[in-house]
Amino acid sequence: MDQELNQELATKLMAMPGEARGVVFKTDGDYVIKQAGEEGLKKLEEELTALGCPIDYKKINALSFYPIGLRIISLLAIRKVFSFDDVKIKELGTFASKTSLMVKLFINYFLSINKVFFEEAPKIWRKHYSVGDFTPIELNEEKKYGIIQIKNYQFHPIFCEYLGNYLCGFFQMLIKTSSINFEETKCPFRGDEYHEYTIRWK
Amino acid sequence: MEITNPTPEQNKIAVLLDDLASLESYARDLFSFLPLPVCLVSSIGIILETNPALEKISGYSIEEIIGNPLEKILSKLDTKQLIKETLEKGSVPSQEIILTTKDKKKVYVSASTLLRKNEQGEIIGFFIGLFELTTIKENEEELRKSQSALLNMLEDVEEEKRKAEEEESRTSAVITHLTDGLLVFDSQNNLSLINPPAEKLLGINSDQAYNKSLDELAAFIDNFKPLLKVLGKNIKEVSRQELVIGELTIEVSSASIGTSQKDHGGSLVIIHDITREKGIERMKTEFVSIAAHQLRTPLSAVKWALSLLMEGDVGELSAEQKSFISKSYDSNERMIILINDLLDVARIEEGRYLYKLVSAKLENLAQAAISACREIAAKRNIRLEYIKPEKEMPEIMIDGEKITMTIQNLIENAIKYTPPGGQVTVSVKYDTNKATVSVKDNGVGVSQEQQNRLFTKFFRASNVMRMETDGTGLGLFIAKNIIEAHGGKIWCESKENEGSTFSFSLPINH
Repeated sequence: MDQELNQELATKLMAMPGEARGVVFKTDGDYVIKQAGEEGLKKLEEELTALGCPIDYKKINALSFYPIGLRIISLLAIRKVFSFDDVKIKELGTFASKTSLMVKLFINYFLSINKVFFEEAPKIWRKHYSVGDFTPIELNEEKKYGIIQIKNYQFHPIFCEYLGNYLCGFFQMLIKTSSINFEETKCPFRGDEYHEYTIRWK
Repeated sequence: MEITNPTPEQNKIAVLLDDLASLESYARDLFSFLPLPVCLVSSIGIILETNPALEKISGYSIEEIIGNPLEKILSKLDTKQLIKETLEKGSVPSQEIILTTKDKKKVYVSASTLLRKNEQGEIIGFFIGLFELTTIKENEEELRKSQSALLNMLEDVEEEKRKAEEEESRTSAVITHLTDGLLVFDSQNNLSLINPPAEKLLGINSDQAYNKSLDELAAFIDNFKPLLKVLGKNIKEVSRQELVIGELTIEVSSASIGTSQKDHGGSLVIIHDITREKGIERMKTEFVSIAAHQLRTPLSAVKWALSLLMEGDVGELSAEQKSFISKSYDSNERMIILINDLLDVARIEEGRYLYKLVSAKLENLAQAAISACREIAAKRNIRLEYIKPEKEMPEIMIDGEKITMTIQNLIENAIKYTPPGGQVTVSVKYDTNKATVSVKDNGVGVSQEQQNRLFTKFFRASNVMRMETDGTGLGLFIAKNIIEAHGGKIWCESKENEGSTFSFSLPINH
């Protein structure tokens, strides 16, 4: 169920438990500036203020904690204000993975794909979100794919596309490949218990 | 998210978070404002972080660069070499490589790398910094082009030098193998070149002659004296001046070789040996002279015999006989005239056409010639007029007989080539330096293209030949020689079918 952003939804999302680190808003703000300039960012902030969930993207502390609902509201507001389609939301996911401070802080650990996939990736998730359980399931370097499950994280379908591409961008920093994509094989919004992503590369 | 009533630990965490955020902002600003393109590359060669300077130089956005292998912007070979050297040596101080931009342009950069290790000493990647060499390369290219242009110019100069040497060698060969003698005098009028024929003709060795002026040469070599006389010390321009040097007869021509009148670049003197031609001419003249003399005697005898016959000294002749004898007499007379003309020409060519100069008035000679022509003018119904000079003429030194003959020749020609009823006007005039005689007719005239040949031997105008008139074609040639021997000038102005004016002028020596 992909509900459009309105006052009611915003209130509902803001009431959800859990926190996200300020870095996710930073990457949102940087992407909007890149796509629509400072004017675009201003419009977005006005929309959020109107919804009663103001975000000053420039003053966000990348390492501070913010309500998890605000993370979803930020994405929905961006889609609404700029009429972004799924492609743009995916692009935002890739952009976030490549410019996230959290990812940069983990760069030292990019020694082996196995270590990052099975050990560091769950930690990186937890550095971003206080809710949701990130579980690496399988990594097959020979057949060039990896499977990840995320449980207890079902706020809004918009995050599914965003996250899929975020994971692709993240994988790109581990594997030399010219093409990488994902498939969300399981999704709570389609009746499954959790999200399951299969990342494939060439 | 604001926390109400924070604990001391929460306060400390908040301070630490603020400090971390400031640190992150500081690091980001530093990285962003760095003017040099910098990348953080993983140990397997994936770009993990970069700065706006690389965006600018490569044309890719940061997110297009991050997560991509280094080969996206550098060549495979350069990348392999860089990674290998960095892993082996820990760093690469400076290596020239080519960066490929998004729009496939090649940019020369100097790459420096530094290996990164974690606390456990494991290699976790390396930094790579790039320094754009475009300007340096452009300058190098400019220098290379300038060098190349200079080398080309040098080659061109060499080529031109070679061509000039070839040309000089060719010119030298031409000059050496000329049959004519050639002397070149420099701007100071000193001999700078003499070819072998000139050495032979003048009897001199080039080594003795170089860098000497004409008067210096004439001082010790007699053959140069006639040359000096004709050309002068400063080598004036002459055309085909005949000179006798010893047994040789030569024709000398000279010309200035400067680029302008002010710029006297030197002089060129050409000596053409005409000894052989002169010999042949002399033999021909001698032959004509002997033949004419031999012919004149029998022709005189024939004339005498025909005269006796016509006068009836050997018996009365019938009208028909008289007519035949008269025609024979006229033909004989023409032959005698031709022989006399040929003899005159031979004498002129032998230089034996002696002039007996006496003081005479040209006007009197003109009147004498007119008187001699009155009868034939009347016979042909031509009005013969004389226009006297406006003022009295002085006497001048001339060969009266030859000048009278010349005037008479001009008048007879005018009468001959003017249709009956026409007019011939003789006028004499003079000014301070010269006296001029003109004979004007309204006869057949001479075409423009034939006028320059009028005074040559045996020339007869085409329209005159059609008229079947008498004439040897030698009269004007003889007249020209007589007038020029007096230092005068003869000329003609004519228009076909309208008439001619033949004039000559003689200098008056006071």
